[in-house]
Amino acid sequence: MSTERVAKVFFAEAIARALGEAMARDPRVVILGQDVGRFGGAYREFAGLHARFGDERVRDMPVAEASMVGVGVGAAAAGLRPLVSITYMDFVMLGLDPLVNYGAKLRYKTGGQLTAPVVVKCTAGAKGQGVAHSQSLESWLAGVAGLKVVAPSTPADAYGLMVAALADGGPVVYVDHKRLFPTAGELADAPAPVPIGRAIVRRPGRDVTIATHSYMCRVADAAADRLAADGISCEIVDLRTLWPLDVATVAASVARTGALVTLEEGQLACGIGSEVAFRVREEVGRMRVVRLGAARAPVSGNPRLEAATLPRPDDVAAAVRRLLDAKADER
Amino acid sequence: MIYALAVPGPIEDVEELRVLQWHGEPGTRFAAGELIVELETHKAVVEVRASGPGVLRAILCPAGDWQAVGRTLALIGDDDAEPLPPPDAAGARFDVAFEVT
Amino acid sequence: MDRRALLASMLAIRAFEEALARHPDAGFQLFSSGEEAVAVGVCAALGPHDQLLSSGRSIGPALARGLDPGVVMAELLGRATGPCKGKGGRGHLAQPAAGFFGAHAVVGGNLTIAAGVALAMRMRRTGGIVACIFGDGACGSGALHETLNIAALWKLPLLLVCDDNGWSISTPREAALAARSPADLAAPFGIRAASVDGMDVIAVRDAATALAAHVRGGAGPAFLACDAERFSTHSTATRETRSREAMEAARARCPIRRLAQSMRDEGELREDALATLERDAADAAASALRFAERSPPTDIDEIRRDVD
Repeated sequence: MSTERVAKVFFAEAIARALGEAMARDPRVVILGQDVGRFGGAYREFAGLHARFGDERVRDMPVAEASMVGVGVGAAAAGLRPLVSITYMDFVMLGLDPLVNYGAKLRYKTGGQLTAPVVVKCTAGAKGQGVAHSQSLESWLAGVAGLKVVAPSTPADAYGLMVAALADGGPVVYVDHKRLFPTAGELADAPAPVPIGRAIVRRPGRDVTIATHSYMCRVADAAADRLAADGISCEIVDLRTLWPLDVATVAASVARTGALVTLEEGQLACGIGSEVAFRVREEVGRMRVVRLGAARAPVSGNPRLEAATLPRPDDVAAAVRRLLDAKADER
Repeated sequence: MIYALAVPGPIEDVEELRVLQWHGEPGTRFAAGELIVELETHKAVVEVRASGPGVLRAILCPAGDWQAVGRTLALIGDDDAEPLPPPDAAGARFDVAFEVT
Repeated sequence: MDRRALLASMLAIRAFEEALARHPDAGFQLFSSGEEAVAVGVCAALGPHDQLLSSGRSIGPALARGLDPGVVMAELLGRATGPCKGKGGRGHLAQPAAGFFGAHAVVGGNLTIAAGVALAMRMRRTGGIVACIFGDGACGSGALHETLNIAALWKLPLLLVCDDNGWSISTPREAALAARSPADLAAPFGIRAASVDGMDVIAVRDAATALAAHVRGGAGPAFLACDAERFSTHSTATRETRSREAMEAARARCPIRRLAQSMRDEGELREDALATLERDAADAAASALRFAERSPPTDIDEIRRDVD
């Protein structure tokens, strides 16, 4: 362990590394999407791949997400292992027919004769770009039988979950976030695998469990710093996979802390937090719980409105304080 | 006088930078406009150039290291003789121009 | 494929559907009767390395492609011996090992998929092409536009076949498509197109063969529009909207009678031979039905299998 070589990388570099290694090993891995070729991806997450692997394997597509997803799913069914890049998660909606009606159901509807080992990578999240370029829709997709949904929050997990997604029988929806691309983190030369379906305790704590994913992990961390100053110790569980959900890890944490805050950037109604809270309650019984998420409104590109629509560290800290102040038998 | 070389912040959307390559070593003299160091943000390569003359005295972040925006990367002096203060003590900022490529 | 084989293939589809239609457990079906020549003519242009995709009107394409009628019937009747274990039914019938990549019940839903299959087959050098049969009802969809575009840009080995029976359930094609004919949709993309009488299996076969050769040569995709008639309602769940006269006019174009007449005229078919062939087809359909009826129903535990 002490001799393990580690380098600090940007979030996008971790993705490019995972793809580059997979593409070098397996000629079936191809990339399809907008601006994936010479441009290297909207967030530089495909940098260098077109130069290494050429037009055949790194294919720019027209701005037509229905065909991006459909071609990717069809190609997967016929033996390739495509990664489809959807620059804004908002526009995965255009590809929901091939993804949900065909890809997610292919193994089932053909009785196992065909499968669709495709990764659909979507960049979610609000960053000043307006109501149709800001959404976090992962809870919708987590509800589709036949899909797996993963959401890394660190470069190491961006790498590990991409490796896992590309190796999976699929389809896998890989959700990253605009606000994670400026961040950096450690990635080992020989990283330990990150399995799909396994959450991780990011920050151990005693008083409350915050179950969250993607960029909200950083918001939770900032809130935890503020609360620590007041002697409140937060345990942050990074879900990493939204389906299949690692309920056991969250439940084990809540069994220790007795209080659960679910935190997401998406909508609360039918959100990830609803699923986590209910499933954890089934495991641990009575517990204090509150869900945090976006206000029920579109997310405006106006920066002040955007900031007020989404959970901020102070909102999370206030919610934790209210939760812990509430009498033990109140829910 | 000893100055701190840093990329002044805040820069929208940039938290950390990776040092790519120093174009000099302790003792190198820079004239105005000359390239001192190349840095990388998550989006682009940044060329940091001297706004006025100076001597590179100490590299605090060698190539491959990371540094936050606004934090000291190197110490610059008016000459190469003046003794160096402890790294955190360097006061004034060395004026730089930087270009995003 | 010679004319006798074409005739037998169409007869097999007609008899199969007649047997199915009489069965009490037939359920929700879309029949191909009237449109047999489209499926049979197109399949006559395909070889063992090619793949065929279809819409939810899958019985004709599946049987024309050569799938065993017994297992097709089993799939339609929800039996474990169907190629999809009875889990797909008619709308999702598939047997890729036999060159039938599959049906998909969403109108236009198989088009971009077919483009992806064509891309993979080319990249993996399988040597085959992809044919995708869809109805005129899909011609208004964005999916067709996107498929034409990407297939042309990337010169995909894709033969798009529009089985144009003139109806989107109750909406006639003229009210659903501003273009004068489906084949006109290919022109803006520079895609080679042809329009044929979809009730003339020889014409369909010849046009499909020529376009398939174009596609096989690596020149890019092609588009074949077949003007056809459906002889029953859109589906067993929809009402007929056509007048008796219109139905009679449609049935007068029967592709089976037409080919048989042509063969008789040229001395290739004896007077009573058609009746014999029809009986043989009915026997085969009955045999398929018996196989399906004797097969075990799909195990309820299959609900949880093949999900992930």
